[in-house]
Amino acid sequence: MSPETKKINIPLNRAEGDLEIKVDVTDGIITDAWSCGTMYRGFEAMMTGRGPLDGLVITPRICGICSLTHLNAAAVALDRIAQVTLPDNAIRLRNVALMAETIQSDLRQAVLMYMADFTNHKAYHRHVLFKEAVARYQILAGSSVVEVIRKTKRLIEIIAIIGGQWPHTSFMVPGGVTSIPYVPKLMQCRLIFDRFLAWYEKKVLGCSIARWQAVTTKKELAQWLEERPEHRDSEVGFFVRFAQKAGLDFCGRGDDHFLCFGNFPLPKETAVTPRVPGAGLLTTPGFARGTDCRALDAANIKEDSTCSWFEQKPAASHPYDSITRPYASGNMGKPYSWVKAPRYDGLAAETGPLAEAVMDRVPLFQDLIKETGATALVRQLARITRPARLLPDMGTWIDELLAHHADPFYTPVKTIPDGQGAGMIQAARGALGHWVTIENSKISNYQVITPTAWNGSPRDGQMQPGPWETALKGTRVKDLQNPVEAGHVIRSFDPCMVCAVHIVKNEK
Amino acid sequence: MKNKIICIGSRLVETDKAGPAVYDRLCRKKIPAQTDLVEGGIAGLNLLCHLEQAKIVVFVDAVSGFTRPGQMILLTGQQVQAACPKPVYDHSAGIAYLLAVLPRVCHGPLPEDIFLVGIEGRCDSITLDRAADAALTLTRKNPVV
Repeated sequence: MSPETKKINIPLNRAEGDLEIKVDVTDGIITDAWSCGTMYRGFEAMMTGRGPLDGLVITPRICGICSLTHLNAAAVALDRIAQVTLPDNAIRLRNVALMAETIQSDLRQAVLMYMADFTNHKAYHRHVLFKEAVARYQILAGSSVVEVIRKTKRLIEIIAIIGGQWPHTSFMVPGGVTSIPYVPKLMQCRLIFDRFLAWYEKKVLGCSIARWQAVTTKKELAQWLEERPEHRDSEVGFFVRFAQKAGLDFCGRGDDHFLCFGNFPLPKETAVTPRVPGAGLLTTPGFARGTDCRALDAANIKEDSTCSWFEQKPAASHPYDSITRPYASGNMGKPYSWVKAPRYDGLAAETGPLAEAVMDRVPLFQDLIKETGATALVRQLARITRPARLLPDMGTWIDELLAHHADPFYTPVKTIPDGQGAGMIQAARGALGHWVTIENSKISNYQVITPTAWNGSPRDGQMQPGPWETALKGTRVKDLQNPVEAGHVIRSFDPCMVCAVHIVKNEK
Repeated sequence: MKNKIICIGSRLVETDKAGPAVYDRLCRKKIPAQTDLVEGGIAGLNLLCHLEQAKIVVFVDAVSGFTRPGQMILLTGQQVQAACPKPVYDHSAGIAYLLAVLPRVCHGPLPEDIFLVGIEGRCDSITLDRAADAALTLTRKNPVV
């Protein structure tokens, strides 16, 4: 008798209300998966016909967690159209604020969202580290939960100081920034940064950043864990120990296609050097198969809407040529998501901190990809240790702002001419692009591809699944009523489908 | 120390734009001294900094299941927490999570009082005006001296 296949919906109640994952399970193993974005956002339609600068105010509302990143993508697209060269201080100020947002997002995702699943009693009450996981990550009360909220709350004060307004700061504009922080404010940023850095090294890494960066292979990671109790007890150490015993080093295997748009343009005069020599950005844009990294060719980016509830085009198209018109009918057959299927050179590609680490040729992650490939553990390890790669350069740029505070922060841009420009950056969750066309002084087309559109895409015209649809296949689910393993896989991509409705609901 | 009126929601989402609509009305009114009017948007946990060093905090937000559609309701912070007993952190974490975590992470004294001016369902301009007035009244009754 052939084994029975069951179709189940994976509840992601603590991830995203607007995401449904449907899977086929045979003999306790996921054999197929479908990712359904259930909400039409419509930002592209909102933008059409508006003034060129409106994207600076509207698109940051796409996301409540990474609104600054959307602001930056919108500003960069307009910088390109206006063909303006930014002053070094504007670049430094934008970079410092973006780094603060990225780092807070990484740590909140890791501790408040991801590791919260380690307290799942039904799944892990027999795990040798379960009691300690509860002490650390219990919702609202865990020691690490409270500490991460306290520390990240302080870190994002840097954005408030730089932007002069919080939330919904709009300090990035074509040509640079609108706010010039005075020296005492920059010194305040430096103080916040120093305290955060000291806490990150002590509690999250359990060692100095220099010591962590000396971990370059899977074998050295094991040696680092054994080296000192501080390493084992740190958030990174505890995560690795728990995750290995829970089997996260074997689940969530992707197809090892990685996409990174790169981020943090380098000022002309700076002590910060790019991760890969020759790049004009700190982090490296590109596409990789395994660890075979290639330069990014933006012309290879296409959107496919075969399985999406949008007006169909005969072929996948570049974002400049894309349209986003919702169309749903009961007779369409294939569509099952409000998310399009972006593809790079015809391939589905995962994006996020791991893709960034691969493109930046970080030795530890290159070795892990060679040893195990992308797994839930590797993706999550890349995320929680990304601040170790960003913090030193963030400190350098704050110091350079202090040293050069009298220099310009803005290059005047009188009008935005007609033209096309793309703001392609690496957001906390991965590759983010805003493709903007201005005609007759109005926005005639505005296309946004978010990191979650890459990671959570549905199938395309070739019926190739999206990255986390692929990653779910082969995942063993011990209890169909409590499919925590599938949650580990999806959350390792840090999905962000919603960020829109925050109504206070009476749950009684 | 200041009083805070924090209007929550997304002005781009029909079911969530009541808070920003009240914010727009409040922008046209005289705000009491020592009171900050904040467009809180969808910032969630990132609003914590506005709750520190505050005397009275008045949130204005869309609600669901508290009163009849089209009506305004005034709730205390305790009533909000009682109605949402198990708030969790996610990308749509709202006031309930903020209030639950506040005592554990607040730097300095907690606010003396927290209120929510809730707006249920689609409201007409009269109800939105009433919500704006209610937020102002709460801060006027509790001036910072």
